[in-house]
Amino acid sequence: MIKSYITRGFSSFVAYVFDVPSRLLAFLCLLLLLLLPLVIKGYTAHPYYLRILTGANILAIFAASWDLLVGRTGQISLGHALFYGVGAYTSLILATRYNLPPWVTIPFALLLGVLVALLIGLPCTRVKGPYLALVTMTFPLIMYTIVRSSLPKIFHGELGIRLPFKKALFPFLHIIQQRTAEYYLSLAILFISAVILYKVASSKTGIVFISILDDEVSSKACGINVTKYKLLSFAISGLFGTLAGCLQGYLIRIASPPMFLLTVSFIPIVVTYFGGMGTIYGPIVGTYVYAMLDNFFFDVYFPQLLKWGGIEASTVLGYLELLVFSLIVLIIVLKWPRGIARLVTDKLEDLAEARDLDERGPRIWKRYKTKGQ
Amino acid sequence: MLRELTLILVFGTISGGILSLLALGFTLIYGVSRILNLAHGSLYMIGAYMLYVFTSIFVPIFTSFLGSSFPNLDLVAAIFAALAAIGFTGGVGAILYIATIHPIIGDEIATMVSTVTSALIIQQIILIIFGSTFYPASIPIQGSSLILGVTVGNKALVALSASLILFGFVALFVNKSKIGKAMKALSQDREAAMLMGVNTTKLFLLAMAISAMLAATAGILEVTALTGTAAAWMWLHPLASSFAIVILGGLGSIKGSLIGSFIIAYSETVVKILVGGAITPVVPLVVMMVILLIRSKGLFGKRVEMED
Repeated sequence: MIKSYITRGFSSFVAYVFDVPSRLLAFLCLLLLLLLPLVIKGYTAHPYYLRILTGANILAIFAASWDLLVGRTGQISLGHALFYGVGAYTSLILATRYNLPPWVTIPFALLLGVLVALLIGLPCTRVKGPYLALVTMTFPLIMYTIVRSSLPKIFHGELGIRLPFKKALFPFLHIIQQRTAEYYLSLAILFISAVILYKVASSKTGIVFISILDDEVSSKACGINVTKYKLLSFAISGLFGTLAGCLQGYLIRIASPPMFLLTVSFIPIVVTYFGGMGTIYGPIVGTYVYAMLDNFFFDVYFPQLLKWGGIEASTVLGYLELLVFSLIVLIIVLKWPRGIARLVTDKLEDLAEARDLDERGPRIWKRYKTKGQ
Repeated sequence: MLRELTLILVFGTISGGILSLLALGFTLIYGVSRILNLAHGSLYMIGAYMLYVFTSIFVPIFTSFLGSSFPNLDLVAAIFAALAAIGFTGGVGAILYIATIHPIIGDEIATMVSTVTSALIIQQIILIIFGSTFYPASIPIQGSSLILGVTVGNKALVALSASLILFGFVALFVNKSKIGKAMKALSQDREAAMLMGVNTTKLFLLAMAISAMLAATAGILEVTALTGTAAAWMWLHPLASSFAIVILGGLGSIKGSLIGSFIIAYSETVVKILVGGAITPVVPLVVMMVILLIRSKGLFGKRVEMED
């Protein structure tokens, strides 16, 4: 009885995964991420790598939430750092000042994040396009100044709030086990939120979002309550942005004013351009590319390359890092504006389509080819 | 109280005049080509740095040609240096357009990303060449005069009048000359303008170069009149203020940018003098947000058309 359920479940799962090549690719990527801690176990800097990967998972949630708002609904937001900072600050203030456990602080922070998102979403009923981009940009900058220079008892000024080790999520484990547990927790949350975001984006609501992106006036003419759906996309996006902030608070264990800076708001934009706009999986792939470039390439290999080139100055090295990184971003934006991840999946879908057409017979195949040309 | 009021009036006017040039460049390139150029602050910074570079090149050359007894040799060299710096920055703006904006023109978010990365690249190049120290850059105009009981350096007055004259000149150019009329036509309806035989790429390039030159002029006048030094992080604050001004006055409106820059400059000076310097950077942003919530297209802006 149970065995038959398992076999049936397994076979339907296999059919689901192998049906579409990009689904298979996503599954393989998930497997790789699950096995990654075992792969890097041999290195001495193992906990450090785990922490970088955890940070990448958190950033991926953040970037995917930005992508739902901008890539799907077309509400250009340059101030997504607001949600990130609000999540981290709320959860850590509640945890350190009022000694509340994470299962109280995180839902409270999420609620606050949604409220903030609705508050910011309200101007979007009046403001459009570049104006909206600039309005959203101002909120985190204002928060940055507030957090840095007022109410030092609550916000602790420039230093920010640190979560004591005792209050971390897994205080009873040894450091390596703790980091591994944190990594798997963040990966699980990333997977769940990515699935939710993807389902939202491909649901009926998601189609309405795309219609707003394509032509707002026509959607309005079709009887869609545009304001409601815009606010909805702000709320969903704010929810997951705040979730990323809470994870940052509990896993990286710090909330500081620089979280509100413009550079933080630009990370999801850059990452989404790496991966591909409006795809949800694009920003996640892009985040991993970004994290690898940022942490492994620039911290490990780049100094060696420079050493071979005969440069050893330390301050110039730091400047050169950001220079080369910006150049890479620029080249990617100019060369592949549709993103790297989309390039791969497009190729795969094309191949699959070609295979299907081959099976169905030469006549359709020929027609497809002439149509394609 | 009266003294504070006159201080606000005088210094607000000076910084408003300089800001108006910065905002004019920003609004010009947006109005003509719908490019939100986030590297505008970097062009301002390049202007200030190049003033330093060209001054240190020109002073020895001028001394060897004219002899050290020539009157006001420093001043003459600095003025030529300023002109060279403005020209250089115009070239940088044109190169930026060709290399980073032209391939993706029409895609708003991609343009923002590419211009912000170019701003970072420029900042890093300047850090690598000059380091993170402050550089003295200024046009040496001596003396000071008394206005409304406040002592103001002559260089600030020269900067104010120069910026207002240049603003008038550019506004006249856009409104009266043939090229300016073509730019206006492009901002009103790009397709119709193209049908009338307007070469868009050429005009975008020209608008970008003019906007870069205006930014450089604003940078030079700012370091001459107010700060006196150039630093590698001086691009972010002017960028935020020019955003605020341009949004306040309406994107693409020349009259709006003049009035907006004075509103922003006065409110900034009020806060700086009455409250203190720490929260000054936020002031333009708050003013901008309030105005936008009251009037969503800015004071003089036209409707933002959606994608057609």
